[in-house]
Formats: sequence, structure tokens, C-alpha cells
Amino acid sequence: MRVLVADDATLFREGLARVLADAGFTVAGQAADGDELLALARDDPPDVAVLDIRMPPTHTTEGLETARRLRAAHPGVGVLVLSAYVEVHYALQLVTDAPRASGYLLKDRVADLRDLTEAVRRVGEGGLVIDPAIVAQLVGRSRTRSPIDELSEREREVLGLMAEGRSNAAIGERLHLSPKTVEAHVRGIFTRLGLLPAADDNRRVLAVLAHLRM
Amino acid sequence: MRDVKRTAAVVALALVAGLANVVLLAVGGYERSGPTLLLLAIATLAVGWSFVGAGLAARRSRPEPAVGWLMVAVGLAWFLRGIGFVRSPAAFTLVSAVGDLDQALLAHLLVVFPSGRIASGLQRAVVVLGYVLLVPGSVALLLAWDPAAAGCATCPANLLLQPGLAGYGPDAAGLLNAATLVLVALVAGVVALRWRGASPPLRRALAPVAVVGAVLLLFFAAQQGLALLGRSAAPADLALGEVSGSVLLLLWPVGFLVGLTRLRLDRSRVGALAIELGGGEDGATPERVQQALGRALHDPSVRLAYWLADREGYVDVDGRPVALPDTHEVTLLRRDGEPFAALLHDPALADQPELVDAAVATARLSLDNERLQAELRAQLAQVRASRARLVEFADAERRRVERNLHDGAQQRLLTALLGLRRARACLDSSPAAAALDEAGEQLTLALDELRDLARGLHPAILSNAGLAPALDELVRRSPVPATLDAAPGPRLPAPVEETAYFVVSEALANVARHAGAATVAVSAVVRDGGLHVEVADDGAGGADPAGGSGLRGLADRVAALDGALAVDSPPGGGTRVTASLPLDPAR
Repeated sequence: MRVLVADDATLFREGLARVLADAGFTVAGQAADGDELLALARDDPPDVAVLDIRMPPTHTTEGLETARRLRAAHPGVGVLVLSAYVEVHYALQLVTDAPRASGYLLKDRVADLRDLTEAVRRVGEGGLVIDPAIVAQLVGRSRTRSPIDELSEREREVLGLMAEGRSNAAIGERLHLSPKTVEAHVRGIFTRLGLLPAADDNRRVLAVLAHLRM
Repeated sequence: MRDVKRTAAVVALALVAGLANVVLLAVGGYERSGPTLLLLAIATLAVGWSFVGAGLAARRSRPEPAVGWLMVAVGLAWFLRGIGFVRSPAAFTLVSAVGDLDQALLAHLLVVFPSGRIASGLQRAVVVLGYVLLVPGSVALLLAWDPAAAGCATCPANLLLQPGLAGYGPDAAGLLNAATLVLVALVAGVVALRWRGASPPLRRALAPVAVVGAVLLLFFAAQQGLALLGRSAAPADLALGEVSGSVLLLLWPVGFLVGLTRLRLDRSRVGALAIELGGGEDGATPERVQQALGRALHDPSVRLAYWLADREGYVDVDGRPVALPDTHEVTLLRRDGEPFAALLHDPALADQPELVDAAVATARLSLDNERLQAELRAQLAQVRASRARLVEFADAERRRVERNLHDGAQQRLLTALLGLRRARACLDSSPAAAALDEAGEQLTLALDELRDLARGLHPAILSNAGLAPALDELVRRSPVPATLDAAPGPRLPAPVEETAYFVVSEALANVARHAGAATVAVSAVVRDGGLHVEVADDGAGGADPAGGSGLRGLADRVAALDGALAVDSPPGGGTRVTASLPLDPAR
């Protein structure tokens, strides 16, 4: 899987590139800002672009803008945006803008190389990835009188993993549950929340996120 | 004291002269019936004393003592005519020479009324002509005038008559009469001219005098007309004419007094001006001062202009630059010798400098006051602006520190974490690997803390995405279940957004710490040109608005933006923190 990495912090970027290379990805290039990344992608589109949300020139949300332009030019390229902050607003904006092959990950995830590489891979495969910290805020947040309050502990765990963009299989693996149990939980959750069963994993993520966002 | 003595002297003189007139009338030698004698005595005293009395009264109405003294002089001169009650050539000659002095004084009075000042060459000429005609002129006439030849059989002899000149008598008398008519016409003309150029208050003073003058002119014209028609008067008619003429002369002092009183009433309007300017609820605004001056001066065209030293020019009450026009008289208001304002008024008011000065002096107090207030307001505005700048500066500083943390320490820690994890990946389970794991955990904790610190300094999402998303994040992190009512709208001024954010942040933190609330509702709406944020919980209430440096600091912050922060926390009734922030603070 070919990856481009963009971050204006050189050391971090190179460390990230090395980690990804160690994990078996082909790092096809590194960019210090969005324009450089777009130039690299134009010459040779990667499978996934991993980019910092804050880059020159304004150090605000260049990453999101670059993601938008990148997808407009190369719809097949997956985009994983890294951020130092837990920003629900941007995370949701990112995946609703492009409900496939995109993700929002906290930079701290580099603490767990497995989390990081798995996220890159899932995005490369066309999936959606939402950082657990974002999901925690969405699920754990205590809006008054939410149907989420009526979910069981286990159901809430399943809901969170769904919101992170994980498949039933991944959820089962993570929670040590049989696929049938996971399916039963998912059905139960959808019924409780009044959601319609979704056709694929990405739509399921979006439906769950949309519900959580309310 | 001097004034009292002078008044006493005048009164004594008038009494003596009046009584002497009565005595002379009674014993002078002319034959008069009892009732005529009585009427004539009363009329004589009434005219003389009323002039003197009116003069003394008028003299008190500063600042025109000259007018009062002239009236006194007319009254005293009037009694000179009593010399004529003595039937002797000497008395006859004397009264013929100086008896008309009162008329010269009256002409003088008419010309200078009410200010007492001679204001033009024409006026001076008329006054001088009066004195010359009526005293030296009369003396000159006496040299040639033979009463017997003129048809006055009962007249005593003219002691000054020079037989050689007697032939010119009738011509000289005609000439003097004609000159006297011209004098009357000139006085009337001068008064008419003054009327034309007079300000409304002056006209109000002149009007009664002009009316009296017109009545007297008509009366004497009628008398002359009758004489011309050949109706020779019988002796009884003559006495009656004398009496009725005197009665009409009584109108003069009345007219003068009424005129002066009106003038004084106008000046008392200045007192009303002071009360008006002092008593307004909304203070003496320049516009109100201008209007009040217009009313006090009977001049609706009165305009105020303020001198602005930094612009080196005048501005009107609305702050628009004005040039001092030629069409208006300008009275400068000075403070410490420097003009600070100008009063533009009708040039006719120049004949009332005292009135203008009094009005201006009164208005100056208000204007000074207003000016001090304006300076205070300006200083307050400056302090406010600098306070707001301090807030903006502090915010900018927080943004800078947050960015430095993000780009510096956070990135370095992340890079270190990456390196650590890569190193760890190379190791299997070993004491070194465990140490690396622990170091990694510590680094992750440090990153968490650093992230919270950076967000507390300045939430990046606030400046990047706006208030509603930033509040959304706050509400999501609130330990107490919170709802948010904030429609994402257009971006607001950065200081307003940041202040609102910190108000909600601090209030939510307080709810979590103290309130024991089950839920908290956050709202932020833009309404009436302001942002209104509210954080209301259903907790225990009873929070002390003054307590807690957090909210107090926020109150200062809110005030720096001309906003208001309120904490409503009845015991048992929950706590409601509201902040209203104008979007366009008046700077």
C-alpha cells in the first residue's frame, strides 16, 4: 500500500514515515505542506495520504482543505488527517464531506503503532476511521435524555467501535464476541436508537455518527 | 451710601422744586380760577415728580443709570417752567430762555433710550441740536422777539429785547419753530431707525416709548391743526390745553418705565436660562444650551460653535465644522483667555451687550460643565479602548503561546514518542522494553496534559471554526450533562467570541465543581446587536457572584468589551450566568 506523508514538523514526519515503512507501507513521498502533497499526488497518486490538520501557511485547518482538494483531484485516494486535538467538529466534517476512505486520528495514536497502521490500512481499503477519543466524546457525552443512556455497557462498547469505523468482525475480535453476538448487539442498538439497518460499514458509521451528533 | 445720599438729594430737590412751583403758581400774579389752579398744580407736580420718580426707579436697573439720570433731569428741568408762573419781566425772560431745557433733555433721552449710550454721529448731532436750539436758540430769539408785537398782550416785557433787532423777530421765531419741527422729525427718525435695526428684546423696550411719542405727536399735530384753522383759543381753553398737555406728558415716564421693565424682564429670562440649563434630566447638552440661549435672547438664529484646539477650527453642536459667518455677530466665550466656544447671534443683539454677556455667562457654566463631561467621556472611552486592547493583546498572546506549544513541545514529544515506539518495536519482552513502555506511557500522559493546557490557553477550534463548534466541544466535555442552543452564525469579532467562550467554559467548570446540578443548559444567541450567552444549571444555587476569582476576572473581561455579566443564583433555585456582549462596542 503506497502512502504519502505531509506534516510541517520534519522530525515527526520522518519518524512517521519510518514507522509506516516499518509496518510494511511504501512511503512514496513526504511533503511539508498541502501544496507539496498535492504536487506529489498529482505525479503519482498514492493509496493513502496521511496529513497533519495544521500546516503552513496559516496553521489552522489546511489539512482539511488539502484533503478536500486531494479527493476532488483523485477520488480514489484515501485521506487520514492527524490532529493534536480532539475536535469533533472537524472529524465529523471530514467524514461527512467524503463518506469513504477517510479518517481523523489523534496524533497521540503514534503511541500505539498497531492502532496507527491499522487506521492507515482501513482508510486505504476505503473505510472510515474515527479516533476513539472523538467517539468517546460523542458516546460518553451526557446529553440529557438520550436513548444512548438506555444501552447496556456492552452495547455502548459496540456502538463506540461502530462509530470508530470498525466492521462487525473487528468488533467481535476486539470484544472477544462471536459474529452472531455482535450482529445481535448491532441490531439491538439500531432498534433502540431508531436507526435503519445500513447497507455497508461506511453508511453504518455515518448513521451512527449522525445520531451521536444530535 | 453715595447712591443713597444722591437719591435723597434728588428727592429733596424735586420736593422743593415742586412745592416752589405750587407756591409760584398760587402767588405768581396770573389770574386763574380755583379749579384751574388746582388742576394745573396737580398736573405740574405729577409730570415733574413722575419723571423724577421714574428716573430714580430706572437708575436702579443697571446697567443704564444714564437713562435714569436723564429722566430725573427732565423732571427737574420741568420745574424750571414754574418760573413762568411769576408775572414779572425778569421771570418771563428767564423762562423764555431756559424753559425748554426739559424738551432738549427729553429729545436726548429719546435718542439714547434704553441703553443711555450715543451710538452714532447722527444721534450725537440730534442731541446737540436739541440743546442748541432749545436754550441758546431761545436766548438768541429773545434778542429780537417782542411779545407784544407777537400778539401777546398779557405777556410781561422781554428784558433781552434789543430794539434794533425787533424787526427780525417774526422771521427768527418762524425759523426757530421750523428748526424745532425738524428736531422733532429727526428724533422720530432716529427712533424709527433704531427700531428697524433693533433686536427683538430692544423692540420690546422701545415699543411703549414709540407709542407714547406717536400719541403725543398726534396730539400736538391736532393742536397745531386747530390753531391753523384759526380757532383762537379762549383763555379757559388755554388753561385746559395746558392741563391736558401736561396730562399727556405723564405718558412719557410711564412709557420709559414700561420699556425698561420689559428689558429687565428679558434679562430675568437669563435667570430662567440658568434654571433651565441646570434642571434638565439629561444634562445641558450643547443643543439644549443653544436652544435655551435662543429663547433667552429672543433670537432663534442663535448658534453655538465649539473651538477644537486640535482641529484649529469651530464645530457646531453636532460636531460638524463651521466657519464663523459674517451675517452673524460673534461673541467669543473664553476660558483662561483662550476662546473655547463662540456664540453666533443676530447683529441686532449687539445693542444688548449686557443681555448677551449675561446669557453667555450663564450658559458658560453649563457649557463648561458639558465640556468637562465630554472630556471625561473621551477619557473614559480611551480607558475602555485601552482595556479592550489589553484583552485583545492578552488573547493574541494566548494564541501565540498555544501555537508555540503545538508547534514546539507537542510536536517534539510526539516525535520522541514515535522514536520510543519504534525502539520498543525492535525489542522483545525485556527489562529495557518495559522501561520503554513506561516512558511511552509517561510521554502520552504528558501529551494529554499539554493538550489540555494548550486548549485552556486558547481553543484552536474557536478561532478556526467559530463560537458554535467551540461551545459544542465545551458542552461535550462537560462532566455535568449539558445541552447547547447555539445556531452557527456568521463569525463574530474575535474578542467577543473568546470572551463568550471563556464565560461558558468557566461557568461550566463551576457547575461541575460546586452546583451539584443534574443538567446544565448553555445558549448563545445574537440579538439586538449583541451576543447573549447563558449558562443555567438546576443545581443548589446560592453561588456568590463576588466570590471566585474566575467569574470576577470574567466580569472584568466582559466589561472591557462594554458588556455585562450577571450571576443569578437564588438558594435552591439553580445558578444562571448571563453575559451580554455588544458586537460593535462603542469605542
